[in-house]
Amino acid sequence: MGLYQAGLDALRELLVGSNPVAAAEERTIALRGADPTERLIHFLADVLYLYDTQRFLAARVSPAGVEGEGFDPARHTAVREVKAVTHHGARVERDERGYRATIVFDV
Amino acid sequence: MNGGKVRIERIDAYRWRVPRHGGMRTDGLIFADAALMRDLEGDQALQQVANVAHLPGIVGPAIAMPDIHWGYGFPIGGVAAFDEDEGVVSPGGVGYDINCGVRLLATPLAIGDVRPRLRELVDGLYRTIPSGVGASRSDLRLERRDLERVLRDGARWVVARGYGSESDLDAIEANGTLPGADPDCVSDRAKSRGRDQLGTVGSGNHFIEVGYVAERYDTTVADRLGLEPGTVTVSIHSGSRGLGYQVCDDYLDTMLAAADKYGIALPDKQLCCAPIGSPEGARYWGAMNAAANYAFANRQLMAHYARQALRRVFGDDAADRTRLVYDVCHNIAKHETHEVAGRRRRLCVHRKGATRAFPPGHAELSPTFRDLGQPVLIPGDMGRYSYVLVGTEGAYRETFGSSCHGAGRRLSRHKAKQLARSRNIPKELEDQGIVVRAATRATVDEELPEAYKDVARVVEVVHAAGIGRKVAQLKPVGVVKG
Repeated sequence: MGLYQAGLDALRELLVGSNPVAAAEERTIALRGADPTERLIHFLADVLYLYDTQRFLAARVSPAGVEGEGFDPARHTAVREVKAVTHHGARVERDERGYRATIVFDV
Repeated sequence: MNGGKVRIERIDAYRWRVPRHGGMRTDGLIFADAALMRDLEGDQALQQVANVAHLPGIVGPAIAMPDIHWGYGFPIGGVAAFDEDEGVVSPGGVGYDINCGVRLLATPLAIGDVRPRLRELVDGLYRTIPSGVGASRSDLRLERRDLERVLRDGARWVVARGYGSESDLDAIEANGTLPGADPDCVSDRAKSRGRDQLGTVGSGNHFIEVGYVAERYDTTVADRLGLEPGTVTVSIHSGSRGLGYQVCDDYLDTMLAAADKYGIALPDKQLCCAPIGSPEGARYWGAMNAAANYAFANRQLMAHYARQALRRVFGDDAADRTRLVYDVCHNIAKHETHEVAGRRRRLCVHRKGATRAFPPGHAELSPTFRDLGQPVLIPGDMGRYSYVLVGTEGAYRETFGSSCHGAGRRLSRHKAKQLARSRNIPKELEDQGIVVRAATRATVDEELPEAYKDVARVVEVVHAAGIGRKVAQLKPVGVVKG
């Protein structure tokens, strides 16, 4: 599993728990940031913004951004509010097995 | 004492010093008793006090209140003042939820009148004021022009629309409008996060609470504030919602670049900041004050809906005679004048999880409160009690006119949830006579009373140290959680 997918899964679990989310529509996210850690923080902040303003739940990373679907109260449970993707202790490291990342969400 | 890597020296029964060392420009000063300090052993919050003391232009010590706990960059329960010319402004010193705060309403009802219809009242509050994740108001989606007015005028805009009265404004810190707001400094992204959230309480530790006056410590002040024995109160704890979170997030990026640009060495990235007079500092100032005004407007609107809920259950007279006791900010930075080493100085005071607590006679207090001192509202957990205090000369001398803001968490949300797993927290509270309504069980579990320190201990330290004076204790009987 890719680094961005793992981050997206962690954020989605905070937002709606383990409710299945379909990859029905795509939203564009442009990567920005000076280093891998900043880029991951901004990517996740954009995913959070889509949820907060459009109730769009991202299921998976796509070449242009993310694929997902709108929040459906019949199938999804809003578990908690995530205020922000913070810089606290954030890091992305590469080792022989792949990437290891630490991201702290403010809830 | 060992505070993790931080050396702590005891000054007296309620004060502890983090002696200046390394890159610190000043000492840290922590208000706590021995038991609260023991709870803090090994906590990163103590290191965060030392980190704040590294920032340029800091005046006096980096201060922590007895409800100190770990926050992003600055600790929660932190106060830091900076020289206007040489100092910095930092989004991390204000927090994500800009102008998170509390307002207290006093009804004309006595607890004996309310108990028989308590469930109706709490249900009414729950229905009338959207709470929980992504709460929004379908009846009040702001047009762009309206939102700009909210950001500029705060609670004054809400009152002008008929939701409240001039006397409400008199009982809000800064009369509910901070003058430095500049909506142009708030990003479109932040505005879109805030457009349909005005008048909503949100989730996490935010709440609406019905309580009553259970104890009075200063009957003269309590009488003046309308807090008679048994008076039923409504407290509202919320802030600037998604708009404020986004302002903080936007400016953390700006300030990271600014700290680099101005050569400010940061012991922690989340302390990122810019000189107060720099373009970056000025833009954050405009945005922060705009978000703070949004929060004032948010609490004003919720107070209106709380009155509507009271009206439906107890009639027009009860609603019309429900007065705003006071509304305080817990997360804010302000330009203020303080006396430091015998000299009056203009300072930028950051309070993150701390309450302004100006003493009697302070010119910034409205005439209604000038002889009393500023009311200080200290919520506890949802099972025990909250407090009303007033500001003191001691606070003005020692803490830049600041006091504590709450109980302070002692368990992480994860640990609290584990503790609550095999229990029914709403039922436990109901058995104590407290009716709880919540959007999700998760919030109630994460906010169970044991997740917090005993706020009475926090308040005792504040009172004994002279940085606030106890007026009354409120006990909860109904809670709406997000």
